[in-house]
Amino acid sequence: MEFTALFLAITVVMLTAWHGARALTLTLFGVLLLASAATYLHHATDVLKLSF
Amino acid sequence: MTRGLAITLNALSLYALAGVLAAAFAAQLLLHELPCPLCLLQRVQFAMLAIGPILNIRFGPRPGHYAVSLLAAVLGAVVSIRQILLHILPGDPGYGTALLGTHYYTWALIGFAAAIVLLASMLLFDRQFEDRAQTPIVAGFFAGLAVWLVVALTAANVASTFLECGLAACADNPVVYEMLQHRSQ
Repeated sequence: MEFTALFLAITVVMLTAWHGARALTLTLFGVLLLASAATYLHHATDVLKLSF
Repeated sequence: MTRGLAITLNALSLYALAGVLAAAFAAQLLLHELPCPLCLLQRVQFAMLAIGPILNIRFGPRPGHYAVSLLAAVLGAVVSIRQILLHILPGDPGYGTALLGTHYYTWALIGFAAAIVLLASMLLFDRQFEDRAQTPIVAGFFAGLAVWLVVALTAANVASTFLECGLAACADNPVVYEMLQHRSQ
């Protein structure tokens, strides 16, 4: 569900970049980047059995 | 580097991204392997990488447009490094089938690293940014086709992930298309 929404949002941002205003595209990209980072943090919960 | 050459290179980068998205689809359909959440997130970042070149083709090259793609590439690299570390221990078979001896997420890290280097290299050429106020950009067939190819492949991922995950959160290790399974029951 979350990835369907992300891909749909990217499609919208791409179409905005191609047909719409530049400022709107950059704003939507920022929102999309935050949503991607949040999705990553939601799914990156497995403990890494590593030591550095 | 002239503005025209920069726009041509941006169009070529869109074809390269379309190739990456198409290859991921091909692996999914031909090998019958469903992408995991981190795999999907790497596809998301490859698709987001395309927004910068689309802006460059539409409005002309600007440093901010390259920055857009750089941010997407860095987040994509973070995701792929995370998945590599999940499977880095000896004896771990990794996730999915290896392509040419290397798993998709490792190829993805190579792709994101290459994108970061190429984007930084493009920023070195100042002349492409100079004649911004002059002739308006008219995207030719070559660039326009590249844009619509990437848009179409991203839209295809909307349908694919909806079939895979349905209306719930995507499974960590998906083995069936949720929407097709419910329909056949």
